[in-house]
Amino acid sequence: MNLLANILEQLINGLTLGSIYALVALGYTMVYGILLMINFAHSEIFMLGAFAGCGVLALVPGLPWPIALALAFVLAMVACGFTAITIEKLAYKPLRKAPRLAPLISAIGVSIVLQNAMFLFHDDFLGFPSVLPLRRWEFGQFAVSSIQIIILVSSVSLMGALWLFVNHSRLGKAIRACSQDRDAAELMGIPVNRMISLTFFIGASLGAAAGILYSLYYGSIKYNMGFVPGMKAFTAAVLGGIGNIPGAMLGGLLLGVSESLGTAFLPQASWKDVFAFAILIIVLIVRPSGLLGERTAEKV
Amino acid sequence: MRHQFKIRALPLAAFVVFALLPPILQNSEFSYVIRLLGLVGLYMTVALGVNLVVGLLGLLDLGFMAFYAIGAYSMALLSMAGMSFWPALAAAMVIAMAFRALLGAPVLRLRGDYLAIVTLGFGEIARIILNNWDSVTNGPKGLSLLTNANVKPVRLFQWDISTNVDYYYLILMTVVVCVIVSERLKNSRIGRAWMAIREDETAARLTGIQITRMKMIGFVISAAFAGAAGAIFARWESFVTPESFTFWESVMLVAMVVIGGMGSVPGTLVGVGIVMLVPEILRNLLGTSLVSWRYFLFGVALVLVAVYRPQGLWPSRRLSRTTDAEEAAK
Amino acid sequence: MLNRARVVFVKSWVIFLAVGLIAACQPKVKTVKIAVGLPLTGDIASLGQGLRRAIEMAVAEHNAANPANPVELVSFDDRSDPKEAVSVANRIVADRSVVGVIGHFNSGCSIPASRVYAQNSLPMISPASSNPELTKQQLSPQWTYTKCVFRVNTTDNVQGSFGADFITQTLGMKKIAVIHDKTSYGQGVAEEFRNQVESRGSKIVAFEGLQVGDRDFRSLLTRVKALSPDALYFGGMFSEGGILVRQARDIGFKGAILLPEANYDEALLRVAGPAAEGAYVTFLGSPPELLDSAKDFVARYHERYPGVELKSYDHYGYETAQIFLDAIDAVGPDRQKVLTFIRNIKHDGVLGQTAFDEKGDTLNKTITLFQVKGGKFVPVPVTDKPKA
Repeated sequence: MNLLANILEQLINGLTLGSIYALVALGYTMVYGILLMINFAHSEIFMLGAFAGCGVLALVPGLPWPIALALAFVLAMVACGFTAITIEKLAYKPLRKAPRLAPLISAIGVSIVLQNAMFLFHDDFLGFPSVLPLRRWEFGQFAVSSIQIIILVSSVSLMGALWLFVNHSRLGKAIRACSQDRDAAELMGIPVNRMISLTFFIGASLGAAAGILYSLYYGSIKYNMGFVPGMKAFTAAVLGGIGNIPGAMLGGLLLGVSESLGTAFLPQASWKDVFAFAILIIVLIVRPSGLLGERTAEKV
Repeated sequence: MRHQFKIRALPLAAFVVFALLPPILQNSEFSYVIRLLGLVGLYMTVALGVNLVVGLLGLLDLGFMAFYAIGAYSMALLSMAGMSFWPALAAAMVIAMAFRALLGAPVLRLRGDYLAIVTLGFGEIARIILNNWDSVTNGPKGLSLLTNANVKPVRLFQWDISTNVDYYYLILMTVVVCVIVSERLKNSRIGRAWMAIREDETAARLTGIQITRMKMIGFVISAAFAGAAGAIFARWESFVTPESFTFWESVMLVAMVVIGGMGSVPGTLVGVGIVMLVPEILRNLLGTSLVSWRYFLFGVALVLVAVYRPQGLWPSRRLSRTTDAEEAAK
Repeated sequence: MLNRARVVFVKSWVIFLAVGLIAACQPKVKTVKIAVGLPLTGDIASLGQGLRRAIEMAVAEHNAANPANPVELVSFDDRSDPKEAVSVANRIVADRSVVGVIGHFNSGCSIPASRVYAQNSLPMISPASSNPELTKQQLSPQWTYTKCVFRVNTTDNVQGSFGADFITQTLGMKKIAVIHDKTSYGQGVAEEFRNQVESRGSKIVAFEGLQVGDRDFRSLLTRVKALSPDALYFGGMFSEGGILVRQARDIGFKGAILLPEANYDEALLRVAGPAAEGAYVTFLGSPPELLDSAKDFVARYHERYPGVELKSYDHYGYETAQIFLDAIDAVGPDRQKVLTFIRNIKHDGVLGQTAFDEKGDTLNKTITLFQVKGGKFVPVPVTDKPKA
């Protein structure tokens, strides 16, 4: 296989994986933007979305796959959205005025609770129904599979939809206002609590969608499947500039691609994560607020 | 005056209780508690280091276990080369501090949560290097000190340190030293500078505090705690593998410090105790069939503590918003 | 306020600890116990839980047949964490009514824990640890304790030889790629395989590690496929093995795939799906289909645990438990007598015949080769005998 074909194939691998990271990273970044907290439990929402999607698909084996899949997406996204809102009300809202790290600990606790709840339900791998027709398209020496195309298209559509929502709708503007200055937004009459709930809902539904896409791609789900992708997606969100939505998308894609190219071209593939994290550290040294993060003027 | 006396009596009493436990427990069916408390003591040492960085300085550090690992591997490799325990301990601490300084130099000017990610990244890098660098660290198979003839036994003057009880006392001494150092630091100019940085970095800079220098001091001293703990652990277990040093352990260290009370030394000790002993106690209470519920309940407990006592279970007195006069009035 | 809170806090801690201690007190009845130290939570919890189920079944069957001499099982979770394993070992040896321990699973846990058991002369039989060091360490001059560590599964070098013979001689492959999961088990078994293949003259074109917990091995497989191997060997467990097999076929790899015993698991078939078809997996023991005891075991297992899959190591757990139970029935609840009995045992069970050499390794070096056909594991008759 010549070098160009190899690079192209690895690039597609990387972009596919990266777009899943990007969807999850959006959840982290949106919550951080509005509450300045790291929602550690987001990786478990990703996992719950996968399980919810699996449940839906298992219950409707007869339906044609586009309908079944759409149904799985919608139900999982909504279910996870409301789960996230509940978590916020119970575990984060009481801590809005607390010391900065207290909500983080609460989030860690929620993450442990959700993971172990699922462990008690099923401690092993569960096969994810493979509803997508598998097709490979060969272009000369490199190939793309239908699942990769579907993932790329879905992620881009979801990210595009989010972009439109955040920048061109009233609610989006309200969310942006709350992110910029919560007190001022409240004074302007924006129902801040509702905006926060909405943010959690959107972030979680994107995470759930990512969970389903991830499970379609890899074929199986497990109670601890959220841990590693969650950590990587959080890294991606920070890489792009935490709180910045296009930054999270860019960070996710960049992380996925660097992992892929690292696996392909490093002397030993097992160093790929060192490579990816090293890139992260270098980027942050050169651009301390992340790739697209704004240098916030510090108020004196 | 009476107030101060009361506070000093408590640590002394606690010390006496812990010092007397091994003779009481040694030959009973609870002898395993000695090892358990030894592990708790090691984590207390590390957590006191985390407390300097996370609790006093307010910097979120998600990769602290890397320095524990560096301390452990340094001790293992130096022991296998024939170095005896005490010089190797000092060397392990210095090596951990050196790596920390190396990491800190370029990244300490990063804002809070960006620094967190960098520490996470470094923690992962360290773990992967330890797992992959087979020629030096033996990779996932780990380093076994037991079957290596070069390894010298651990001795302090005439005292041979080899059993669980011996290590318990060594760790107890270490914890006491670290507690004293932490309290001294906290009440010194450096400690106050750290807390000022934590509360409001801009204001601290305006009062003349050299921010980066103070952060670096905290960063490096904390690594000494972790390195020492790791080194002792390496000799105690006689076996080091990369599996013990995961991201999750670093996260739990932060949790220990925060639920204990940020910046508070007794709070940190309490936090360690709770995070490590609650799953153990739940294991006993729940019995064999329900043992998988352990961690679920632990998570619930964590959320409850965070929500109902966000300032921590034993917060630092300096942090409390009420003054002494208001307290007396209650 | 602060002082009162502290007093309340200290008081509630004292109560909590007291409750914990009271709960920990065992009843002062003289029971005979077998202890189990396995990963019951954590990444490979499913394997540990499967082992526990098989062991529990063995003990329950024994107690039903011997109501006058019941044996109690006490299980401990080592979370696949070496220091937890040592803590568990300390806990187990403190209980004088325990006469034997089944454990641990990961070699990284078994090795440090074995020292604690040996210091207290408590016989330990591992159902799964395959690192040769576990038993070999007993021969070193630093091992001043009792020799009481055994295992019922054969070691990496035996499995490596068998696999190498099969791939190079039976299948005649010349270029082989090896991937492992960078754990003590996976890398160990992969290294042995590699050494044996190279000593038989075939070429190892790649020796790469992947990360446990990752799911995307496409890039890695693409890189390996580019070197045109005839066969692929994976040193690791079914969790990554299943995904690897699936993705290897997905990117168009058509060569033979061989996996070690940790992949002899119905979950592998589930995770890999139709891609598993044709893959080879080794099993450490005589063919279960040919042993009445093994077929019986499977039938009774499914009866006792309906709807539960059989996991890779359940046979080994059952065998280990039976060995201890036989020992206790024969010589009574005495650690030293049980140890002597085990050293001389010749046990016929679900793995074939088990006896131990002077290191504690099983003399049963029979390996069965399975191939996935029609979504099931089907034994493949191999004419060459394994060279130990």
